[in-house]
Amino acid sequence: MSATSITIVKVRDVLMVTMPPDPDDATISALQENALQGMELHQARRLILDITAVDTVDSFFARTVSETAQMVALMGGRTIIAGMRPAVAITATQLGLSLRQVETALSVERALDMAEAEGRREARR
Amino acid sequence: MSAATDEVLSITGEGDIVAVRRAVREAAHGVGFGVTDTTRIVTAASELARNVCKYAGQGTVHLRRVERDGRGGLQLEFEDHGPGIPDVALALEQGYSTSGGLGLGLPGAKRLMDETDIRSDVGCGVTVSVTKWLGS
Repeated sequence: MSATSITIVKVRDVLMVTMPPDPDDATISALQENALQGMELHQARRLILDITAVDTVDSFFARTVSETAQMVALMGGRTIIAGMRPAVAITATQLGLSLRQVETALSVERALDMAEAEGRREARR
Repeated sequence: MSAATDEVLSITGEGDIVAVRRAVREAAHGVGFGVTDTTRIVTAASELARNVCKYAGQGTVHLRRVERDGRGGLQLEFEDHGPGIPDVALALEQGYSTSGGLGLGLPGAKRLMDETDIRSDVGCGVTVSVTKWLGS
């Protein structure tokens, strides 16, 4: 695995996509296609995008993530972004980035809790 | 302000943006910036390097350790020989973009840094110089 590659793992009905620390533009672009294909292939209901390791989120990355979340929504899924570092959150806000349509979680563990709680609510319906 | 050119990197395509971010991160650490300011500087560099690729295709960035009144800082100067920016004030408005992007690159980079200087010559290119000072 190269230092810039994305890891995609399915955990129950969640697709876990882990970003490398400093992804190049090609890797960020690949995120979109890989994530959507993974949603279909694994029949996942949710996508957790783990950015715990990511140390820079610029406007290109943020736009790709927003678009991906919209596409996942069109496919009937939900996206949770997990693990944004404090320095990244400060910088993203100053830069003017908003990830309004995207749910966020402090950590992957919290994101999994959110996904699981939602899954239970859906099962009761 | 004393300045010595510490490092020059060429930007020839989007693949070089990662190299720019790495070099800038290292330089920011070297100057003594903490994690939040380093992230601000690296993010601004990422936006400006992408602008060079997007609008001019190629260019260079000079990384300089600077000092003024006993205060250290880092200056990044992005230079390209692309089409230039016809209206700099407009380009600095948030949300304005001629490339279909978010229009956050230039105004965002300006907000993340302490000083921004843009020299544009239509048809000849653009030089964007941004500086961050320690303890600002």
